Order: sequence, then structure tokens, then C-alpha cells
Amino acid sequence: MKGAPFSFLRLGLVAQNTLREAVRQRLLHLFVGLALALVLGARGLRDFNFGAPELKFLADCGFGAMTLFGSALTIAATAQLFFSELENRTALTLLAKPVWRAEFLLGKLLGVALLTALFCALLTGLLAAVLWVREGELMALDPEGFRGGRAVSYAMVALGGSLQWLRLVVLAAFTLLVASFARTQVFAVVCGFGVLVICHLQHLAQEAYTRAGSAVGVALGGFLGGMFPNFQVLSLADSLDAADLPSLATWARLTAYGLGWAVAAGLLAVLSFRRREI
Amino acid sequence: MAPALETRGLVKDFPVGLRGVKLRAVDHLDLTVPAGVIYGLLGPNGSGKSTTIKALLGLVTPSAGECRIFGRPSGEVAARREVGYLPEAPYFYRHLTGRELVGFYGRMCGLGRRELAGRVETVVAQVGMTGAADRAVETYSKGMLQRIGLAQALVHDPRLLILDEPTAGVDPVGSAAMADLIRGLRDAGKTVLLTSHLLGQMEALCDRVAILDRGRLVAEGTVAELTGGAGRQQLEVDRLDEAQVTELRAWLAARGCGLHGVAAGGRGLDAVFLERVGRDRAGGKEA
Repeated sequence: MKGAPFSFLRLGLVAQNTLREAVRQRLLHLFVGLALALVLGARGLRDFNFGAPELKFLADCGFGAMTLFGSALTIAATAQLFFSELENRTALTLLAKPVWRAEFLLGKLLGVALLTALFCALLTGLLAAVLWVREGELMALDPEGFRGGRAVSYAMVALGGSLQWLRLVVLAAFTLLVASFARTQVFAVVCGFGVLVICHLQHLAQEAYTRAGSAVGVALGGFLGGMFPNFQVLSLADSLDAADLPSLATWARLTAYGLGWAVAAGLLAVLSFRRREI
Repeated sequence: MAPALETRGLVKDFPVGLRGVKLRAVDHLDLTVPAGVIYGLLGPNGSGKSTTIKALLGLVTPSAGECRIFGRPSGEVAARREVGYLPEAPYFYRHLTGRELVGFYGRMCGLGRRELAGRVETVVAQVGMTGAADRAVETYSKGMLQRIGLAQALVHDPRLLILDEPTAGVDPVGSAAMADLIRGLRDAGKTVLLTSHLLGQMEALCDRVAILDRGRLVAEGTVAELTGGAGRQQLEVDRLDEAQVTELRAWLAARGCGLHGVAAGGRGLDAVFLERVGRDRAGGKEA
């Protein structure tokens, strides 16, 4: 009898099934709906721009919606899609087949990664459309101000969307890592949000500890830096200017940084799930 | 030829509470299931049947001992190629249709696209679900879930089937149809490991049974061996009065035989039910 080597086909089938299940969940529809509403309605919030240029404000709203609702969607989807397999005992039937646990778990991760890719693509496309239309209106009102042509770099918008996606994939991998040993879905969700906060704010903590000169603080900052990715690294999208477009090498480095963390967390999740009793 | 299933000294402990006190679910279980039989695993709730099955499928790690499937350690992923499993009270992906569900599991078992379509049709027909195969699983009744569950267990044509309470919650018609299906599988050369609380059905269906209690094997053998019916027969005759029974007893004694019991005859309620309700409902016409 032949062995049963690791199969990317089976992994892909689990991912496809996970995606199909995810797009039917009402909670996820809610997050997507809210995010779309915020991007589309951003023009109505122009009075709250705190002096920022209007197009920059619109872009901030769009990326903010992606971060806020994308993170909630990622954490909820990862925890729910994983625990529903255990609680409904569909994992029992699946893992009784000639399927590696790594195929199951990484398939789940890939399914959520595809879901977040669709989410980011949808919102980035919508944001680009909103910016394009508003920029056209502003150009008509003030041709002198746009003498050099359009000011917004849509390549930067696309890059911003792809970096948002990388963050969400890393977040999904960390949530799955917690879920792989957690007993309850609520625990995994709470830890997922904890990871999100640490990843977003750890650079501030490190700066504060360094300024204060506390050895314990610096050690703690170093520990956080070693255990969690710094999402500030994946934040090049503050500018919409084509002059700030990073080089291909920088883009590749950022992708490697994000995917590297996601793969590391995914592999740890596989290790933790390997002997979990179903 | 290696037995279909074998456990040697199988022990499974579960830690309970923070102190890590261990609850022993399976206690030094030695079991051998020969190929080509219907083998019943009996026992009260908590006797270790489901844990034994999970250990056989690699879903829990034994604390001690070993499990083998056709001679191969059951912890190996490849060993599960030979196994089809229907869990107790199965719950499947609700968003898929019955046909998609069986196809999904078929692909997970390594069937290619060309081979898959034919196999799906075959097993869906085999379990009498052709008419409902394109409906979403969430619309299925309990009996239909059990049948589509059996189809997914059969799709990759395994040599061994493990069916955990396949008739739990199913009406007598569906239950009888499931029993016919299981006999058909045995006749086709498959080995079937079966658990059920319906002792009458197990008695009629199984070639061999093992009885577990508190994780231990307390009896094992053919049904006839265990019930003491190996050298006995039942005859059904017209009603006899007391004098006639005495006369029959004397007649048998003169030939070296004994009369071990006299009971009222009849077909039994299950036979009447099946006749009146109709077995053809189980053939895929259930709504």
C-alpha cells in the first residue's frame, strides 16, 4: 500500500470549503456591509477631517474601515470556522479520512486568507473608485490645483490594500494558533483582539520604554518585538503620492515579513493541533 | 492475512480537573476483528466504545497499547485509506448538497475527477438517496443524514467500515433498510464494525460481538456462542394445550432432546410495523 504524503490538493479543498462556508455567515456579511458603508459614506464625514486634505481623509477612512472591520471579520471568521468544525463534529468525519491534520489546519488558514483577500480587494477597489470620482470633481472645480494631472497614486492605494491584507493574514494565523489549543471560541476571539492590540501598539510601547530608560521595560519591549509582528512596519500607505511608492525590493521585503510571521504562526498552530484530541 | 482491526493492550486515560486525576475510558483492551464479518461492539453508555473507535481512527492518542488496521498502525494517515467512518449522529456541512458532500469527501480520499462522478452516483444510489442528492444537507431528515453519511463512508470503496450507532434516531423502516445495506456490504466482502444500543438488531445482524464495560472486554464471540444458542433451534407451531406440551416433552426426551422453553408465537411488532408502513419508503422516497 502506498503512503499518504502531504497533499496541497486536499489543503486546497479544505480552503475552498472554508471559504464557501465563510461567505454564507451573516456576521461576516454585517462586517463587510459596515465597511462598505463607511467607505461609501466617507464623503459625508468630510467636516471631521481635522484639516487634512480631502482626498487623504477619504483614503484614511477607507483604510481605517479595512483595519477595523477587517480585523473583526478575520478574528471572528477564524475562530468560528475552526470551532464550528469541532463543535459540529464535522472535523471528526474529515480527520477520519486519510487527511493530515496540517492539511486541515493550513486549509482553514488559507480559506480565511482567501476571504480576507476578497474583502480587501472589494474595499480597495471601492476606495479607489470613490477617490477617482472625487478627484475628478475637484479637478473640475480647481484646474489650477491639478495642473500636473491627478495627484493620487492609485498604485499606492493598491499597495495599501495589499499591506492591509498581509496584516489580516498574520492576524488570522495568530488567532488560529490560539484556537489550536483553546477550549472555547470566546477565548480565541479575546486573544485574537489582544494580539491585534499588541501588534498595532508595540512600537509605541518600545519607544516609551526606551525613552524612560527602564531595563525591565526595554526587556519587555524586546520580548514583545520577538513574539509578535510589528504592524507599523506594514503601514506604508499613509501617503498617496506616487513619489513615495516603495521599490520592488521594499515591497518584497514587506511581503516576506508579513508572510513569514503568518507561516511561523501557522506552523506553530499545526504543532499544537497535532495531538489535540478530537 | 492480517485482521481488519486489532488492538493490543489499548489503554486510554483522560485527565479530569486541574489536579490531572485520570479517568480510564479504555482499559487494556485486546480485540481482533477478522476480515469479512459484521462485528458488533456493545456496551452501556461510557463503556469505552466511542473512545476505542476514536483511537482506531487516530482521533485520540492511546495512553498505552497499539491499534492496527489491516496490520498497519492506525496512527498512520495511510492506514485510514482502508476505512470508511460514519460517526454517531452525523452532522455535515449544511451548505453542500448531498452529492457535493459525497464528492467532497471522495476528493479528500484521493479520488480523481473522472473516477469520482461514477463513484458518487454509485454510492448515492446504493444508500437510496438519488432522488434527494441535489438538495442541501440542511433540509435532510435524520434518516437521510445517516444514509448520506454512509454514502460518504463508502465513496472511496474502503475495505473496512466503522459505523457508530448508524440507526440512532432512525425509524424502524429506515433502521431495517440500514440493516439490509450493512448485510449487503458484508456480502460484498467488506468488514463492518458496528456499535448500537439496539440489541435485537445487533443479534440479528452481527457475526461476532464484543461486550465492553467500563473500558474492559467482558465477553467476545459469535452471537450463538454468547447466547448459548449454538446447539439449539426454535420451531413455531400451532398452539398446544398443557397435555400436548407434556406429550411433546416426552417425545423429545425419548430422542435425547430437551424442551427448553414455551412462549407465545407471532411475528412481533417490528415485523407488523414494517409490513404496514412499507419497506419501499427506505428506498429513497422519503421526503
